Amino acid sequence: MAERPTFSPFWHRVRAMKPRLRPHVQITRQFYRGRRWHVVRDPSSNQFYRLNPIAHEFVGLYDGHRTIEEIWKIVLERHGDAAPTQGEAIQLITQLYNANLLAADVAPETEQLLRRGRERVKQKATQQAIGIMYFKVRMFNPDKYLAWVEPLLRPVLNRWGFIAWLAFVIYCLAQVLPEWGTLVSGFDSAIAPANWGWLIVVFIVTKAIHETGHGVICKRFGGQVPEFGIMLLVLFPAPYVDASAAWALPSKWKRIAVGAGGMIFELAVAGAAALVWKSSADGSLIRQIAYNAMFTASLSTILFNANPLMRFDGYFILSDLLEVPNLMQRSMKMLQHLWKVHVYRLKNETPPTSSRSEAAILILYGIGALIYRVFLFISITLMVMGRLFALGLVLAIWTGAMWFVLPVGKFVHWLATGNNIADCRPRVIAISLASFAIGLGALGMIPFPDHRRASGVIESVEDPGVFFSTAGFVETAHVRLGDIVREGDPLLTCTNDQMVSQLAQVAARITETQAVEQRAMGNDRYAEAQIARERLHALHEQEAYLRERLDNLVVRAPRDGRVVGQDPEQLVGRYVEQGAAACQVIDPADLRIVALLDQHEAAWPMELGIEDFQTEARLLSRVQDALPAEVESIVALQRELPHASFSAQGGGQIETSQEQQQSGMLAKEPQLKMYLRLASTGDDDLGQWLGLPGERVKLRFALPDKPLLVQWIDRLHKLVQGKVNI
Amino acid sequence: MTQALTRYHALHEAVRSRRRKPEVPKGLDALATKALVKARNLRARPAWLMAQAKLSDQLSPTIRGLAEAALDEQIREVRDRFVRGREDEALVRRALALTREVARRTTGEEPFLVQLKAALALYHGRIVEMLTGEGKTLTGSIAAPLIAWKHKHLHVLTVNDYLAARDAESRKPIYERCLLQVGAIQQEMDSAARFDVYARQVIYGTPKQMTADYLRDQIRMGQMLSAWAGRQQLMRSGAGPLVPGLQACMVDEADAVLIDEGVVPLIIARSRQEDEMSEVYRTATALAAKLDEGPDYTIDHVKRKAELKRRGEHRLEQMFDELASTGEPIWRAARRGEELVRQALTARHCYRHGQHYHIVDGQVVIVDEYTGRFLPDRSWEHGLHQSVEAKEDVTITADRETLARMSFQRFFRSYPFLCGMTGTVADATGEMEKVYARPVIVIPTNRPLIRVEMPLRAFRTAEAKWNAIIDSIAELHEEGRPMLVGTRSIEASEFLAERLSNRGLPHTVLNALHDEEEADLIAHAGHGRSEGREPAITVATNMAGRGTDILLDDAARKAGGLHVILTEMHGAKRIDRQFIGRAGRQGDPGSAQTFVSLEDELVRQHAKELRAVALRMTKGEELTGKPIVTRLFREAQRRSEAFARRGRESVLKQDDWMEKYLPGA
Repeated sequence: MAERPTFSPFWHRVRAMKPRLRPHVQITRQFYRGRRWHVVRDPSSNQFYRLNPIAHEFVGLYDGHRTIEEIWKIVLERHGDAAPTQGEAIQLITQLYNANLLAADVAPETEQLLRRGRERVKQKATQQAIGIMYFKVRMFNPDKYLAWVEPLLRPVLNRWGFIAWLAFVIYCLAQVLPEWGTLVSGFDSAIAPANWGWLIVVFIVTKAIHETGHGVICKRFGGQVPEFGIMLLVLFPAPYVDASAAWALPSKWKRIAVGAGGMIFELAVAGAAALVWKSSADGSLIRQIAYNAMFTASLSTILFNANPLMRFDGYFILSDLLEVPNLMQRSMKMLQHLWKVHVYRLKNETPPTSSRSEAAILILYGIGALIYRVFLFISITLMVMGRLFALGLVLAIWTGAMWFVLPVGKFVHWLATGNNIADCRPRVIAISLASFAIGLGALGMIPFPDHRRASGVIESVEDPGVFFSTAGFVETAHVRLGDIVREGDPLLTCTNDQMVSQLAQVAARITETQAVEQRAMGNDRYAEAQIARERLHALHEQEAYLRERLDNLVVRAPRDGRVVGQDPEQLVGRYVEQGAAACQVIDPADLRIVALLDQHEAAWPMELGIEDFQTEARLLSRVQDALPAEVESIVALQRELPHASFSAQGGGQIETSQEQQQSGMLAKEPQLKMYLRLASTGDDDLGQWLGLPGERVKLRFALPDKPLLVQWIDRLHKLVQGKVNI
Repeated sequence: MTQALTRYHALHEAVRSRRRKPEVPKGLDALATKALVKARNLRARPAWLMAQAKLSDQLSPTIRGLAEAALDEQIREVRDRFVRGREDEALVRRALALTREVARRTTGEEPFLVQLKAALALYHGRIVEMLTGEGKTLTGSIAAPLIAWKHKHLHVLTVNDYLAARDAESRKPIYERCLLQVGAIQQEMDSAARFDVYARQVIYGTPKQMTADYLRDQIRMGQMLSAWAGRQQLMRSGAGPLVPGLQACMVDEADAVLIDEGVVPLIIARSRQEDEMSEVYRTATALAAKLDEGPDYTIDHVKRKAELKRRGEHRLEQMFDELASTGEPIWRAARRGEELVRQALTARHCYRHGQHYHIVDGQVVIVDEYTGRFLPDRSWEHGLHQSVEAKEDVTITADRETLARMSFQRFFRSYPFLCGMTGTVADATGEMEKVYARPVIVIPTNRPLIRVEMPLRAFRTAEAKWNAIIDSIAELHEEGRPMLVGTRSIEASEFLAERLSNRGLPHTVLNALHDEEEADLIAHAGHGRSEGREPAITVATNMAGRGTDILLDDAARKAGGLHVILTEMHGAKRIDRQFIGRAGRQGDPGSAQTFVSLEDELVRQHAKELRAVALRMTKGEELTGKPIVTRLFREAQRRSEAFARRGRESVLKQDDWMEKYLPGA
């Protein structure tokens, strides 16, 4: 614990002051983790200050007649060691004064006032600059609008209204859940570019309703909402309101209600949209809009607003729920404190909290938020860079500077000049360098698994189709779909009465012609016999042909394999033309996967031998199993897509160029084509279900382990490659 | 009527001055300031100054030929143009040539070319480094008229009252010839006399006096925002501000004034009557005596702080419990009680009689670390002084209550124009540029320096060091050399004096206890051997450092000039250099040598670990020339300087913070 010297050399500056709180300042009482706090608030500027009970008592004694010295002595008398020291009292007075909460009996200097104003502007500008990922543009004061809406909604803004809301949301869920499948299948079309226009409109409307929610509930509890504006969230516009007046509300549940107000309103909208969606006709515009509304109002709310690791609604709700004010800032301080005490072994450090449970919350939250922050930074940057390279790069550099360079710079400055480490600076610097080296070493030396991903499609080397070679009615099916057959096994039997009768006819004519021939031979009419023999020969040929075709009425398996495609049973009784497809028999040995890799990824498959990396394939039909696969061959870079499902239109990820070619689609950039084969996994190859031609496969290549640092550099390099000439 | 006008003028200027709120720039602003200083330096760079000085020098022959009346006429003309703000480079050159001639005619000293250059540098707001004994006083006096003409009032600051009075008197003819009135502020002056002096154009004084007067003016003016608004108050009370604002300042011994004195802010305090705390301090001292160093508490000698350990806290708690029954409320609050005991421990271990303070007539008087003089009206703050009094068992004075406080840094930065001279500032260039935004310029010596600096002699124990010092003194005494022996504390000077007496070496002692004899002792310190007189041996604290001019007689010069012995290294290299600079002044011969031991406070406090290594790695009593030992002392001095610099920085930072955020002035 830090020392708290009783006296301050600057006491004379405040000693004789006779301050009082400004008349319009409001003080409310709040409880945090069983402790009493007092929030001093200036409604005109929305500035806050939180006081502990003794500080509150100290401030409460300000009446414009007593001097600070007298007040300090009174508090000292009453509370002894717990009373603020002179230094703490000065700190308190200064902060209150600079937050415009205190009127001193001194004439304020114009310059000081002006400077205070300037500094506030500067501070705001700095905050904006640091948080360019969420840039705020103030638009107007929504008070008039809220003053109009709030009385309308007042009858439902209470406990019963909340219960009704809950019931409504549950009802809507119950209505929608049975149609989950349709709901999910609509997702793809909702995020398709064609829908973006509607999506944005709906997004802005639902978010406006969201903000109205905050505003109305805040107003309901007596808070002012002075500001409405647009926040550019990673350049995406989202409305916001300043409901910080809620911080002064004495009841924690009311504060939570204001924080949750947005989500409550938005989920109500989502519920209503769900009902509309359900009752409207398929394909109608109304249904599409309703889907969009449902989608943005529920998903974005749950993903963003409710997430307590970002500084949105969820954060403030959590902060109030746990009764830990300033959660983010103090948890960062807590982590710093732990580091200073346990790693640097500094003495005289004051932790941000003295309560154990609060400390635990701060530590847990701090670690979570830190990891999340890094994760968010990386993913947003990669996402934006993938789409808008230059802008993404600028954004990434800026945010990187603000989130990493600035703190690191501050840290280095502290290392170099911090007064609290003046007598152990070399040690602290050494420890810092060592931990940095250890961290860097861990990233740069310890190998971590390196995975690359690609998607592929199953294809068969040979055409797996089985066809009817004779037209006829299907009489029996000998196999069912999925059965395993050997070569020559009968699959289907057809009948063809016409052909049978033709055969009978031919047989009769043969008998007849044989008779004619024998008669002619008996009569020594050789020429006639010769003619008959020739006819007989032709008739025999015809008979053989017909017999063969009749034989072919039994469709047999062309190879060992599994029956797939059409179910043979369903063909029974149907008439089939010659050459019609019966079903398919697939030999797993013939199946292979064709995969495309982006050209940036082309290096490693070439450099590494095929045996140097492992491949896992997950068939979409059985994603739960990772099947080992082997690379069979790597084909050079080409732009033709082997299968339509690779293209963006076909649901894949490869952008295609507009130029058309007969053979199929062309990718914008050359792709590395590779053939893979699923390794046999069991004794009985045929017993394994190994997918169908045309089925999509997710591939994961496990490259030799590499240190993370190398992997990151590699990745960044690839991202930059081709965009910038290096 | 004129009196009233003068008073109103003073008030007006004082209000204008107080509205200037200088702040030390931070972050990017600091870089910008640095760049600006560099840019300014570029224009008035040494070569340019030299060229200007040469041009000015060329005017000399004509001016030298002027009749007295013509000279006066020219001075009047130049002065008028300066007052009206119509000066240009040519006029500055002419003015300088004129003041140079005035100096020649009135005092008989003619400034050299380099002194002209230095004077120009001063005029352009530089901190000028001239080696000790290069005629700083003369340089200042030819630059001062120009500055005073331009800025109305010029404050010339020196380290002590004696020097202020001496310089004001000796320079008077020059200033009066230049149509300027001159005066010196002395401690014993009353406010009417001070007002009279402050109304003049050139005012000599010490920073302490001037800052105090300025600060008292601030208190007097209260919250007055404009002179016009305050005139009523002024008429009613009849006592306006003494100092007519801060316009221009020339600092003699700039490093001492601007840097060393910057650690302790000036405080105006009054004794508190109300609370009778003396019993409490005595009890705290008694309690502190019961604790044991080591198991109960540790002492940080560098920061001068005592830290209680858990066992000590525990024992104290028990003692407090016993005391609580006596009814003294302080012992009921553990933190306040501990604070008092810690203070008592600090007083006991970190403040030593004869070094940090001295008891004069039953009172604890602080000894200034840098000048070695008593600071009779200063006291340590917040009960520390009382704790020391309790430790020495003298009457405990009432705790003093601060009325106003101002750091010297802040005071000097309030001057729109600041320049300075010193012998040793190069080590502190960075600080000068950062805090005062003043560039430093080094002026080469006029006459070659023939001081011999003998190598550092180092010893394992203090005993060996003292023996070697006395041997060395005896040896050089034989040769007939006058000697100045510098000690860091009064205690050490008395100790050495005793040893010298035992050895039968005639000597005199100059420290704060004998300050009445100062002028007399200094006058004799340069005597060599002549019939019936032994060469002088003067044992002195830092009192004989800065600004002291020891004049040699012929015998001494023949014997090889003054020899300076430093018996210990100081916390800052500049102070060592100042002391050594007493030898070899103005072309005289001289020599100097420093003696150190591994038991010296400097290395014990500032380089503990390295000292331990040095102790282990070396053998024998004398360690002279061992690289590790040399390194050790250099490092200790560097750390001590850094520590002092941090202290000054934090004083300044706090000062700025308060000024910025606290209501009212």
